[in-house]
Amino acid sequence: MSPNLVYVVVIGVLFGAGVSLLLERTLTRVLIGVVLIGNGVNVLILMGGAYGTPPIIGEAPVEGMSDPLPQAMILTAIVITLGITAFLLALAYRSWQLLGHDEVQDDAEDTRIIELAERDEIPHAKESETEDLPSPVYDAGPGWAER
Amino acid sequence: MSFLVPLPVIIPALGAALTLMMARRPGAQRAVSLTALTTTLVVSSALLVVTAAEGPQVVAVGGWPPPLGIILVADKLAALMLVVSTAVTLCVLVYSIGQGSADGDEETPLSVYHPTYLALTAGVTNAFLSGDLFNLYVGFEILLVASYVLLTLGSTENRIRAGTTYVVVSLLSSVIFLSALGLVYAATGTLNMAQLAGRFDELPDNLRLLLQGMLLLAFGIKAAVFPLGAWLPDSYPTAPAPVTAVFAGLLTKVGVYAIIRTETLLFPDGRIADVLMVISLLTMVVGILGAVAQSDIKRLLSFTLISHIGYMLFGVALASEAGLSGAIFYIAHHITIQTTLFLAAGLVERRGGTTALDRLGGLGRIAPLLSVLFFIPALNLAGIPPFSGFLGKLGLLQAGVDESGPLVWAVVAGGVLTSLLTLYAIGRVWNLAFWRAPHPDLPRADDDSEGSTVLLPKLMVAPTFALVAFSVALTVVAGPLFGITSEAAADLLARTPYIEAVFPDGAP
Amino acid sequence: MTVLLACYASMAVLAPALVRWLGPKALYAVAAVPAATFAWALAHTGAMRSGGAVTEVHPWVPQLGQELAFRMTAFPWLMVLLVSGVGALVLAYSAHYFPAGEAGLGRFAAVFVGFAGAMLGLVVADDLLLLYVFWELTSVFSYLLIGHDPTRRASRWAAMQALLVTTLGGLAMLVGFIMLGQHAGTYRLSAVVEDLPGGAYLVVALVMVLLGALSKSALFPFSFWLPNAMAAPTPVSAYLHAAAMVKAGVFLIGMLTPVFAADPPWREAVWACGALTFLFGGWTALRQTDLKLMLAYGTVSQLGMIGIVLGSGFRDAALAGAALLAGHAMFKAALFLVVGIVDKTTGTREIYSLSGLGARRPALAAVAVLAVASMIGLPPTFGFVAKEAMLAAFWDGGPWERAMLACLVAGAALTVAYGLRFLWGAFARKPGLDDTDAAPAGPGFLAAPALLALAGLAAGLLAPGADGLLAPYADRYPDTGHAYHLALWHGLTPALGLSLAALAAGFGLYLATRRTSAWRAVKLRLTSGAVYRQAQNGIDRLAVELTGRTQRGSLPFYLGVILVSLVVLAGGLLLFDGPWPHRFRLFDTPLQLAAGGIIVAAAIAAALARRRLTAMVLTGVSGYGVAALFIFHGAPDLALTQFLVETVTIVMFVLVLRRLPPRFSERPLKKVRRFRVAIGVAVGVVAAGMAYVAVGSREAEPISELFPDLAVSYGGGHNIVNVILVDIRAWDTMGEIAVLLVAATGVASLIFGRDKAMHRRGGSRPAPPKTGEHVKWLSRPETDGSHQAIILQVVTRLLFHTIVLFSIYLLFTGHNHPGGGFAGGLVAGLALAVRYLAGGRAELNAAAPVDAGRLLGTGLLVSVGTGAASMLLGGQVLQSAILDVEVPLLGHLHFVTSTFFDIGVYLIVVGLVLDILRSLGAEIDRHRESGDGPENAAPLPEKEAA
Repeated sequence: MSPNLVYVVVIGVLFGAGVSLLLERTLTRVLIGVVLIGNGVNVLILMGGAYGTPPIIGEAPVEGMSDPLPQAMILTAIVITLGITAFLLALAYRSWQLLGHDEVQDDAEDTRIIELAERDEIPHAKESETEDLPSPVYDAGPGWAER
Repeated sequence: MSFLVPLPVIIPALGAALTLMMARRPGAQRAVSLTALTTTLVVSSALLVVTAAEGPQVVAVGGWPPPLGIILVADKLAALMLVVSTAVTLCVLVYSIGQGSADGDEETPLSVYHPTYLALTAGVTNAFLSGDLFNLYVGFEILLVASYVLLTLGSTENRIRAGTTYVVVSLLSSVIFLSALGLVYAATGTLNMAQLAGRFDELPDNLRLLLQGMLLLAFGIKAAVFPLGAWLPDSYPTAPAPVTAVFAGLLTKVGVYAIIRTETLLFPDGRIADVLMVISLLTMVVGILGAVAQSDIKRLLSFTLISHIGYMLFGVALASEAGLSGAIFYIAHHITIQTTLFLAAGLVERRGGTTALDRLGGLGRIAPLLSVLFFIPALNLAGIPPFSGFLGKLGLLQAGVDESGPLVWAVVAGGVLTSLLTLYAIGRVWNLAFWRAPHPDLPRADDDSEGSTVLLPKLMVAPTFALVAFSVALTVVAGPLFGITSEAAADLLARTPYIEAVFPDGAP
Repeated sequence: MTVLLACYASMAVLAPALVRWLGPKALYAVAAVPAATFAWALAHTGAMRSGGAVTEVHPWVPQLGQELAFRMTAFPWLMVLLVSGVGALVLAYSAHYFPAGEAGLGRFAAVFVGFAGAMLGLVVADDLLLLYVFWELTSVFSYLLIGHDPTRRASRWAAMQALLVTTLGGLAMLVGFIMLGQHAGTYRLSAVVEDLPGGAYLVVALVMVLLGALSKSALFPFSFWLPNAMAAPTPVSAYLHAAAMVKAGVFLIGMLTPVFAADPPWREAVWACGALTFLFGGWTALRQTDLKLMLAYGTVSQLGMIGIVLGSGFRDAALAGAALLAGHAMFKAALFLVVGIVDKTTGTREIYSLSGLGARRPALAAVAVLAVASMIGLPPTFGFVAKEAMLAAFWDGGPWERAMLACLVAGAALTVAYGLRFLWGAFARKPGLDDTDAAPAGPGFLAAPALLALAGLAAGLLAPGADGLLAPYADRYPDTGHAYHLALWHGLTPALGLSLAALAAGFGLYLATRRTSAWRAVKLRLTSGAVYRQAQNGIDRLAVELTGRTQRGSLPFYLGVILVSLVVLAGGLLLFDGPWPHRFRLFDTPLQLAAGGIIVAAAIAAALARRRLTAMVLTGVSGYGVAALFIFHGAPDLALTQFLVETVTIVMFVLVLRRLPPRFSERPLKKVRRFRVAIGVAVGVVAAGMAYVAVGSREAEPISELFPDLAVSYGGGHNIVNVILVDIRAWDTMGEIAVLLVAATGVASLIFGRDKAMHRRGGSRPAPPKTGEHVKWLSRPETDGSHQAIILQVVTRLLFHTIVLFSIYLLFTGHNHPGGGFAGGLVAGLALAVRYLAGGRAELNAAAPVDAGRLLGTGLLVSVGTGAASMLLGGQVLQSAILDVEVPLLGHLHFVTSTFFDIGVYLIVVGLVLDILRSLGAEIDRHRESGDGPENAAPLPEKEAA
C-alpha cells in the first residue's frame, strides 16, 4: 500500500502534542494528552487498512470497500479510551478533593532515598556492627608480666 | 477437550457480572467469587493435563476458522501459567475475604472488589490463552483497568498518588502496544499470531526489528524491566495487601509471558539476544540494589520483584531449551513466592501495625507461625536450596554455562550476585522485623490468644500457609514440573506444534 | 539414608513440642536421632574397612541432573560418625547447659537437629548439586543458631555475616559445580572424575569450587566470620564451629583432591591459603584473652592445617588428613564444651578474671588437659598419632612438601603455645587474683566433654585399628613410596624429632608469653573482616546512589525514560534503514486535507492552552476532526461512534472541570518545558515515520479480504464492521465491555468511596435540594423553579423517549447498517445526559430508575451468557446462529443470535454512561452541596508554583 501523507502528518502532530501534554504534572493535561494520543493511534490503525467505500454489503461493490478490520479495532480502542478517560477524570477529581489540586506528586519514599544519596549516607533501617560486638582481637588486658 | 479452553475466561467474566449485580449481598458475592475461581482452577488443571497429553488445544471463537476470527490456544506454557496463576488468585481471594471479615468490610468497598478482582482474573487468563495479537491487547486492557481500580480502592491520598503514576505509565504502555498492533496490521495484514509467524519472515529485516522493538517496549513496561520498571515500587506497595500480592504475583509475569510468546513465536531469529542479555543483567542488579536501599518491607519486596524478572529475561535471551525451560519454571516459582511474601507482609502489617523496618521488631518471638510463613518463602526467594527458587536459578545457570560467551558469563555472575544480595536484603528484614527486641509501638497481644486471632485472622493465615505449602510442593514435584517446562520450551523453540495446531493444513 | 534424613526432619518438627512438654531434658530425646545415626554408621564399619560403599539413589529433577544420590565410603563414613556422635553428645550437654526457662529453646532444638540432618546429608551426598543443597542448609541453620539470642545486635550481625560469607562462597562453588557437571555430563561426585576437559575452563571451575570450600571452613581469606560466630551459645560453637559445619569445607577438599590434586591451581591454592590460615590463626589465638575466642582462632588455624594436608593429593597425607580431622573434632568439641562449663559456672571466660579453677574443679581441668594434650599432639593421644602421620608424610615428599613441612612445624609450635596458654588461662592460679567462685557442674554436664576427650585418648591407643578404617580413603590416592600406617610408635623417625622440636618451641613460646608482653604488639592483619565491612558499606552506598539516580519517584521522569527509549530504538532503526517506501500519495480525497488541517491546528492549540476548558474544547474539536477523517475514509460506523464518544467525553469533562480551577497551574522551569516539547516532537516524528514505513511495506493481502463473502453467509449481517464486532471478533468485544464495566465500577469507587455511599449509585436516595445557592458555572438549578430549567426539562422529556427509541433502532439495525450496540448505547446514554443536565439528579433518577451496577452486570451477563449458551448448544464459544422463521402474523423473521450479544453491549454502554452521570454528575453535585471541598488541601510544592 502507498502511505497517505495527510494521515502521516496527523499522526505525527497528535502524538507530538499528546506526548508533550503527557509529560506535564497536571492530571487534566495528562488526560488531554492521553485523548490526543488515543486519536493519533486510531488514525495510525486506520492507515493500516485500505481506503474505500463503507464496508456494508449491498451498498457498494465489494472491491472498492475500505478494510473493515482496522475499523473494528479502532472501535474497540475508542470505547476503551472512553472508559479510561472517565476513570482518569474521576482520579483527577478525587485528587482535587483530597489535595486541592490535580498535580501529580513525587513519591515520598523515593525522595527520601534521593536525599540519602545526596548526603552520601546509607539506608537508615540497617544494622551496623558498631554496638555491643565482641571485638575478636583483644588489645586490652595487660600482659601477665606487667601485673 | 478443546471446549475447556475458553472457560478460564468465561467463568470469571460471568462471575464478575454476577457479583456486580449482587453488590449489596456480600455473602453471595463471596460465594460466587470462590465458586468461580475454584471452577477456573479445576478447568485450568484439566487443561494442563489435556495439553500435556494431546498437545496444544485450539478454539476458533464463534466458529470462524483462523486466521479470520480470534483463536484461543492452550499450549503447555499457557496451561501451566493458567494453573499457577489461578491457584494463586484463589488463595489471595480467600485471604482478602479473611481480611474483609476481620475488618468488618469497612476498609474496602466489597461491591467493587469482587467484580474487579474477577475481571482481573479474566484478563490474565485471556492474555495467557489468546492466539491473536489484538486480543492479547484486549486481555491486557481488562487486567490493567481492573488493576487501576484495585490499586485505588478506598481512594486515600497515597493510593491516588500511586494510582496516578501507575495508571499513566500503564496507559503509555497500552498506547505503545496498540500502535505496534496498528503497525503490525499495516505491514502484514493479519493479527493471528500463528500466521504472523510466517508473515514476519517476509518483511524487510529492519521493519521486523522495529515491530519487535515496539512490542518488547510495551511488554517490557508491563514486565517492569530496566529501565522501564521504575514505576512499580512507587505504586504496588500502597495498595491493600492482597491486591499488592496478586499484582506482584501476576501482572509482571503476564508481561514476561507475552515477551516469551512473541519472542519465540514471532521473532525466533534471536537477533536481539545480546540486548536482552544486557537488559536482564541491568534489571537484576539495579533492581536488587534498589531493594538493598529500602527500609520498608513492601517496597523492598517490590524491588526484588523487579530484580528477579531479570532471571526470566535471561532465560528468554538464551533462547535455548534449557534456558526457556528454566525461565518458565522460574515464572511459576516467582508468581507463587512473590505473592506469598506480600501476603506475609500483609500479616506483618497487621501484627506489627506497619511494614517500616525501623518500627518493627520481635515478631519472631511474638508470632512464631508468622515468622515461619515469612522465613520459608524469604529463603525461597533468595534461592536457598532445596526450594523452587534454587531449582529455577539452577536451571538458568546451567543453561547459561552451556552457552558461554563473555556476555552470558557476565549475566551468570550478575545472577549469582543478585541471589546473594537478595539474601542480604531479605536477611535484613528478618534481622530487624523478626529478631530484634519488640518495638514499643507493637500492638499488645502477646499471650492473649483471643487478641492474636484478631490481629492474625485465621482466614488470612490459612491461605498464606496454603501458598507456602504450594511453594514447597513446587520443590517436591520439581521433576515432573521441569518435565512440563522442558517440553513447553521445546515446543516454543520448534514453533511447529503451535502453528500446526492452529493451521493443521499449513499456514495460509 | 533417606530414612535417616526423614527422622531428622520429623524430629525437627517435633522438637518444639517436646521441649514445651519436657523442658531442657527433651534434648536427650532429641539426641536419640543422631545417636541412632552413630549406631547405624557403626553397623557399617565392616563394609567400610573393606573399602565398600553404601549407596542409595532416588530421582528428583532429572532435567537438571539433580538426584537424591547418596554414597557412603570410608571418608564420609568418618564424617558421619563425627557429626552424629558429637551431635548427640552436644545435645545431651545442652540439656544441662540451658536453664529451664530458656527462651527459644524449642526452636533451638528444632534447628539444631535440622542442622545435624543437613550435615549428615552433606557428607553422604553423591550428587554435587545435592551436596550444595545440604551445604546451603547448614549455612541457614547456622544463621539461625548463631542468632539464638536475637535481641543482641552482635548475635544478629554475626549470624548475618556468617550466612552471607558462606553463601557467597557457596554460590561460587555452585557455579563451579555447574561448570564441572555440565562438562562432565553428570553431577555424580563418584562419576564426575572422568572426561573433564583441561585448560582455563577447569581452572575457573576449580577456583570457584575452592572459594566455597575456603569460605565454609573459614580459611584465608574468609577466616573472619568464624570468631564472630562465637556469639552463638557454646554448644552451637562446639558443634557447628568446631566439629561439624566448618569441617564441610575441608571435607569437600578431601573428597575432590583425589580428582583434582594434579590440576592447577588446586593444590597450590589450598596450600597457600591453608598455610596462611594456619600460622595466622595460631598467632592470633595466642593473643586472645577470651577462652572461647582463643579456641575459635585455634579452630581457624587447625582448619588451615587440615586443609593443607587433605589438599596435598598423595596417599600418606590423605591418611594423616583424615586422622587430623577426626582428632580435631574430638578435642576441639571437648574444649568448647569445657569453656561452656567454665562460662556457665563462673560467669566469665576472660583469662584475667579466672584464677584457681583447676584446684576447685579438678575433674574439669583433667578433661581439659586431656583434650589439650590431643590438640598439641602429646602421646598417647590421637592428636599425636595424626601429627606424626602428617610430619612423616611431608618429610617423605618432594621439595615443595618439605617447604610446607617447615610451615606445619611452625604452626604446630604455635598450637602448643596457645594450648598451654589456654590451660593456664582457664585453670591456673594467678597471683593478685582471688580464686574464682564456681558453681558446681553436675556429672551429666561434664559427661559429654569427658567422653569426647577420652575418645581422643582411646583412638590414640587404638591407632592401628583406626588405620584400617581410614586406609580405604587414603588408598584412593596415588601412592608415593611406602604406605604409612597410623601407630603410636614408629621408632626414632624424623617425624618424631620434628614433633619434639615443635613441642619444645611451643613450650618456649608459651613461657615467653608469660614473661613479657612485647609480643602482643605483633598483630597479624590477614583476615578480611575489614574488607567485608567495606564491601557491605560499599554495597549499601552503591545501592542508595544508584537507586537515587534511577528511582526518581517522578511520573514525568518515568514517562520520559520510556519515551526516550522509544525514540532511540525506533528512531535509530528508522534512520539506519527505513525501509522508506518510494510510492506515497498526498491524500485520497481533498476533504481529508481539510479534516487533517483542523485536527492538527486544534491539537497544537490544545497543547498550548492555559485554561482547562479551552484545552478540553480544542481536544473535542480535534476529536470531531478525526470523526470526519473516518467518514472520508469510508468508515461510517467509526465516525458515528467517534462522534458520540467525543460528545460523551465532553460531557464528562464538563462535569468534572466545573469543580477544578479554570486555569492550569503554571508550568515549571523553562528547561524542563523545552525538554518536554522536544520529546513530544521526537515521538511525533518517530510515530509518523513508523506509520509511513509500515504501511509502505505491506505486500500481503489482509485477512479481511475474506470477510465480505462470509459476513452474510456465516455472520448473517451486511454491515461487515458490525459482524466483526459481534461475531468474527466478538471475543474482543466481550473483553472490551468487561473493560467498560470495570472502568465504570472504578469511577464509582473513586467518587463514592465507602461501601455505604456506593449504594447511592443506584440513585434511590436523592438528597434534599438546597435553595439559594450561588449559581456557578454550568451548575444547573435543581428543582428550584427556574423557568428556563422547566422549559428545558419539558423539552428533554419530550425528546427523551424518541432518542431512546432511536437508540434501540440503531442497536437492531446495526447488523446491516451503521449502528450497533455501541452507537445505540451511546445515544441512549446521551439522552440520559441531557435529562441530567436539564434537571439534575432527580431527573436522572426519574429517567433511569435502575442501579448502574446492575445494568452493567446484566449487560456482561447477557453477552458472556450468549457465548456460553452457544457452547452448551454444541457450538463454539460465541458462535452465532441465523434463525429464519415464519411467524404467524409477523411473517418472515430473520434473526441472528449475535443480536443478543449486541444487546449486552448496549446495556453495558448505557450502564457506563449512567454510572458516569451518577458519579461525576450527581455525586459531585452532592459533594458541592454539602460543601465537601479539598479535604486536606496542601499548598502546591514550590517548584510547581514558581
